[in-house]
Amino acid sequence: MRVLPFIFAIAFWIIDSSQAATNDSFSRGITLSRAGEFPEAAAAFEKSAQAQPASGTLVNLGLAEWQRGHAGAAILAWEQARWIDPFDQRAAQNLKFARAVAQVDEPQLKWFETSSTWLPPNDWVWLAGASLWLAVGALVLPPVFRRRKSSWLQALAAVGLGIFLASLAANFGVVSRTDLGFVLKRNSALILTPTRGGEIISILNVGEPARKIRTHGNYFYIRTASAAGWIDRSAFGLINE
Amino acid sequence: MAATGKMRIYRTTIFLLALTPIFLRAQVPTQISPNVAAQIVMVPQPKADTSLLDNVTATSRFDPPIVRPGEKTFYRVTVSATQNSIDWPNEIAAPSKLKFGTAARGQLMQPDGVRFQPLTEFVYEVTSATAGHFTVSNFVVSVGERSVEIPATSVDVTADAATQPTRELTLEVSTTNVFFGQPFRVRVISPATPENQVEALRDVQFNGSGFLLDKLNTRQSIEPIDRNGQLRPAAIYETVATPLATGPLTLSAQAFTASVMSVPISIHAQITISSAPVKNVLLLAEPLKLNVRPLPTAGERAGFTGAIGKFSYDPPQLSTNRLRVGEPTHLKIVFHGDGDLTRLVPPMPPRSRDWQIIADKTPATGFTLIPLTDETHETPSIPFSYFDPQSEKYIDLTIPALPVAVIGEGLPIQLQVFDDENKSAAPLKLSDLATAPGKTIGSLKPTQLHGWFICVQLAPVIALFALWRWDCRRRFLEAHPEIVRRRMARRALRREKFKLKKAAASSDADAFAHHAVAAMQIAVAPNYPANPHALVCADVLAQLDNAEQGGRGGETVRKVFAAADARFALTSQTQASLLALADDAENVLMKLEEKL
Repeated sequence: MRVLPFIFAIAFWIIDSSQAATNDSFSRGITLSRAGEFPEAAAAFEKSAQAQPASGTLVNLGLAEWQRGHAGAAILAWEQARWIDPFDQRAAQNLKFARAVAQVDEPQLKWFETSSTWLPPNDWVWLAGASLWLAVGALVLPPVFRRRKSSWLQALAAVGLGIFLASLAANFGVVSRTDLGFVLKRNSALILTPTRGGEIISILNVGEPARKIRTHGNYFYIRTASAAGWIDRSAFGLINE
Repeated sequence: MAATGKMRIYRTTIFLLALTPIFLRAQVPTQISPNVAAQIVMVPQPKADTSLLDNVTATSRFDPPIVRPGEKTFYRVTVSATQNSIDWPNEIAAPSKLKFGTAARGQLMQPDGVRFQPLTEFVYEVTSATAGHFTVSNFVVSVGERSVEIPATSVDVTADAATQPTRELTLEVSTTNVFFGQPFRVRVISPATPENQVEALRDVQFNGSGFLLDKLNTRQSIEPIDRNGQLRPAAIYETVATPLATGPLTLSAQAFTASVMSVPISIHAQITISSAPVKNVLLLAEPLKLNVRPLPTAGERAGFTGAIGKFSYDPPQLSTNRLRVGEPTHLKIVFHGDGDLTRLVPPMPPRSRDWQIIADKTPATGFTLIPLTDETHETPSIPFSYFDPQSEKYIDLTIPALPVAVIGEGLPIQLQVFDDENKSAAPLKLSDLATAPGKTIGSLKPTQLHGWFICVQLAPVIALFALWRWDCRRRFLEAHPEIVRRRMARRALRREKFKLKKAAASSDADAFAHHAVAAMQIAVAPNYPANPHALVCADVLAQLDNAEQGGRGGETVRKVFAAADARFALTSQTQASLLALADDAENVLMKLEEKL
């Protein structure tokens, strides 16, 4: 028991130092961006985002990538910012601008995927868990503790069950959206076979959205709005990677 | 009837039209007679000169005509006709003592006024071991459709003959032990005559299969060479040969002598140039044997394009090292090495995902490099290697990567937009920088895809299960209260036994008696059930066997209870007799506990 405070102190120190390093990278990225050194700024923001993904960091990463000419990487960063915080207005504004410039569409979402964008992805899962166990608790615990089944407890169980069922679709949408990705490189080839010399089906625009179907070695089999085929992994960025 | 008449007219007209092919002929070109056609064809061309065929002459001689036994002489036959038109016999009828050795034939075109006259020479190396006068008799060969007589000629083989050097060529190579594909220098040397006259060489021909001779890279010069310790001028014809077969190969050469003035030649020696016309004589060189080895397959390095020799290059130079995506830059590479660099095959451009690489047109050895991404920070390394025949190893000469700074293509940061009425609306533009990291998340991977999330969801399940089990147990105990009583009795008994031992150890007889009685009451209480304090000695004894009641156990119980009751008496028992019952009390408690 005497060791416990010591363990807590070490854990706090590790978390605090990690947080400090993240903040250092973020501050350095802002300084570099203001100095116009966008490749270095992008590297700093990317380091910060890898240590601690944050919507503001990803917005800045997208801005730096855009300024250095990487439209695909910028769109991916802003989509990731909206993945973390669907209410981030800067990310939404930048995505609208980038898609107007790059002449690419937004990803086409199914209804349950659209509903999953109303809250951050992790909020949905905790909401589902909490509502389920709330409903179960409201139904199971009163008899256990020999309390009378009151009407408000039954109403609470019904509400919890209703929220749980409603959030199931959104949770499925969250999982389904993890297959969304964006073309990172200009004139990336969509090929017929996952081989280096595969026959080219079409050339994709940078920033074009697509959905990953399966993986084979260094290739993703993706489906865009108009075609399906294989693409090199390095030319395609998934929203949750 | 009128209609019938019209129909007759139509029928007659159609009938006549149907007969017209019989009377009409198709248009044919004007026929030209063969004579006229021949005139049309022949008029623009000069008249064929057939006089050469009419005046074919042939000469023969031994060169030299007098030799010593065993010395070499050449049997030469010259015919004023093209080589292909002569039907030359495979064997020459000659005295058996004359031994015919190496044979050669050559052709050249001699200028004769406005015309060129063909000249073909057949040469045989002849030796005779015995002295004598030997004659090769005349014989007839076919030249085209004519028969031409080759005149007879004689050679004297005598021991008294003065030593005359035979006119021969010398073939020299830079090395006789070469590798497949290794270029080597070949020199055909025609030494000066004893009168210090040098004759140039023309129509040089190399004989021997498996060699590629470079006819574009030749040089003829007159230079002093060392012959038997003396510097003598000689005409030297140089070129480069490349073996294209392996194994022991033979290379020989032949050439016609010519006037120094008639061929391009550089003179680096003091010679006498005669104004007299030079007779074109076909000279031969002794064949050389070369050993051509295949290139070793072991140790071959990347980028080997067949370069054999010793090579190096100046430090590669980029036209610029700061460029934009899609902007070409030129990588200049200048190779050095022994031998002919014009035959050097430059390194092949490697495949690169980040660069488009275009090789310069040969013989240039540079590359045009176009960056395809700004993620690259250096030019691609270009593998190249050569084979060093001296060390017999492949040497790596890869062109190293050079650092570059590639800038991406600029993208707009503001976009003018127009509304439905084609009026300018507020421009779209990028946001400002976020000054704080904002909302954070542990990982972009959603929580429900993490393995630990499933474990977390198991926790409420486990809690509910435990709660259910607890409720079941509670209901069971409610239905069976004796279990609870016995459990409580066992717990209380353990406590009393502990106190009992403590009292015995401290020799406190009163406490011993009190705790022993309390323990026995607790141990038998659930059997009735009853409050332990309400039980007396008889109640405890009733829980013992009949034998035990009358035995030592029963006695102990009675004594303990008596001692406990004695607290209320005027005289108390001795301590020693009571504490001696400690072991017996322990045995009684054990037996009572077994029934609990």
